[in-house]
Amino acid sequence: MKTITIDPITRLEGHGKISIFLDNKGDVENAYLQIPELRGFERFAQGRRAEDMPQITSRICGVCPVAHHFAATKALDAAFNVAPTSAAKKLRELMYMGYFIYDHILHFYYLGGPDFVVGPDAPAAKRNVIGVIEKVGVEIGKEVIKHRAYGQKITAILGGKATHPVCGLPGGVSKGLNKDEVKDIEKMVDSCTNFAKFSLKLFDDIVLQNKTYVDLILSDPYKLATYNMGLVDKNNKANFYDGMVRVTDQKGKEVVKFEPQDYTKHVEERVEDWTYIKFPYLKKVGWNGFNDGKDSGIYRVGPLGRVNAAEGMATPIAQKEYEKFYETLGGKSVNSTLAFHWARLIELLYATERAKELIKDSEITSQKIRNPVGKPGEGVGIVEAARGTLIHHYKLDKNGLIDKANLIVATTNNAGAINMSVRDAAKGIIKGGKVNDGLLNMVEMAFRAYDPCFACATHTLPGGMPLEINIYDYKKNLYKKLKQNI
Amino acid sequence: MKKTIILGVGNPILRDDGVGIHVAEELKKQIKKPDIKIDTAFTGGMNLLDMMIDHDRAILIDAVKMKNRKIGDIELFNMNELSAFHTGNPHDVSLPQALELARKLGEKRIPRDIRIVGINIGELSCEFGENLSNEIKKAVPKAVDIVKKEVEKND
Repeated sequence: MKTITIDPITRLEGHGKISIFLDNKGDVENAYLQIPELRGFERFAQGRRAEDMPQITSRICGVCPVAHHFAATKALDAAFNVAPTSAAKKLRELMYMGYFIYDHILHFYYLGGPDFVVGPDAPAAKRNVIGVIEKVGVEIGKEVIKHRAYGQKITAILGGKATHPVCGLPGGVSKGLNKDEVKDIEKMVDSCTNFAKFSLKLFDDIVLQNKTYVDLILSDPYKLATYNMGLVDKNNKANFYDGMVRVTDQKGKEVVKFEPQDYTKHVEERVEDWTYIKFPYLKKVGWNGFNDGKDSGIYRVGPLGRVNAAEGMATPIAQKEYEKFYETLGGKSVNSTLAFHWARLIELLYATERAKELIKDSEITSQKIRNPVGKPGEGVGIVEAARGTLIHHYKLDKNGLIDKANLIVATTNNAGAINMSVRDAAKGIIKGGKVNDGLLNMVEMAFRAYDPCFACATHTLPGGMPLEINIYDYKKNLYKKLKQNI
Repeated sequence: MKKTIILGVGNPILRDDGVGIHVAEELKKQIKKPDIKIDTAFTGGMNLLDMMIDHDRAILIDAVKMKNRKIGDIELFNMNELSAFHTGNPHDVSLPQALELARKLGEKRIPRDIRIVGINIGELSCEFGENLSNEIKKAVPKAVDIVKKEVEKND
């Protein structure tokens, strides 16, 4: 049997286990990524006070507390039949931009970026943020730390606590901004805009000016022509906090655009017997196995999914970068998985520009921050988490307690695509049963681009991110095992 | 007196993973000293470091997975004994890496003394819940005592 099991994937949480099955020629037939899915949330939520959901769900995941917080808050808006005041909506969105700023900086410099900045062939021990600092210098390292912290501070000023926001309430927020806070935030936002521009320049210098990297980005193992999904505003520009869900095809043409409450009409979840993870797909297109192309309903979310699903960015400098992105990578849609990294930086820039618009808005210091709620019912809240579309859906009983809860998190939306990317990366590097050590890294790069979060949990010591690849031969006998951090 | 921060680390809604939080909550009731701050952290590397900065000493209480040990066993580690620290955050760096990074960048406010009280929870349950299992519940007062002894020892 040839099985490759990659069991920890450095820099990614959860115990990712990858099984690769070879055919009788020793080439890759199939690959599966197995990750532990947290279970029992619906039961856990049942009978709780609906107003507690923004706090409780922000603890589901240490990565996306702000995204869960606002998906829950928006679901409660809908369930209590109340819209937030105009000022409250702006405050929420401003806080959301702070979250995008720190999250995207973290991914680019600490997690995904090392593959490029340090180099895909560099030894694993160097492909981390320390390696990045060694390459770009201590001064830039300090800028990275500073701006990530700014993003955190912005969310903390608005949210009460950076890691556990407490501000979201149905119909509004619990806290407004005063003039001093506005000044502080504006200063930080300006600095972040400059840093985002610098980061794009760095990407240009290090990646785009290097033909080897561009070829790698455009290479077949890292291509996946799926559908794309993301929230858009009324002009079809990408939006992180609010809007309609837009889905485009492999050529960038709109397939469907729907209101959050209609998600069940458009998204279906596929159950496979080898994993607890469900694989969402577009109902209209249908499930066609782990395949890309127009006949397969699998779609992608996250930075690349969003830029592909939109017609542009709503702020001027990010829009220019958006245009350059498509000019450089050959028009819509960009199907290169590694382009996630570039899209992420364009989004970082947008988040800073949008934050500036919001902080300059005369309404941002308004104290009209909450509307009275109506009767409890049913509601769906959708936001774009940094890593993709996040859906919360609650049914409340007449006392305002949770009767039913359903969540579809970003990494679940990407689950089908991540599996295919892992398989294709393995196909690109395993030929005739020959497996070399580069496999771990090539496979990791494929799925790190998505910035997935798996088991949103655990601080278990010791160990880094464990990754195990088991390779099985055509008779399903274990052929080779690759491990790191186990 | 050394300025000390005690941090209970873990996910409060993921059963035994949250044991560090339970220990910290108990310590809050038992330790009242101006130089000792007790807090909880459902977060990993970089954020943990942020919380620890400007203290002379940090004591982290966390769920761990230790081979060849019984569930509920408690071990006291020194930070530099650990080669890798599994962050609770897929999207974050590990604490040792965050520390290394901060030192490289000339950060002077890192605690000189960082200890970890690890409680062996074995395999993590992937099911949501706020309660601890019985075995882990029994470990809580023991961990509380260990932390209190540590605090006094180094005063």
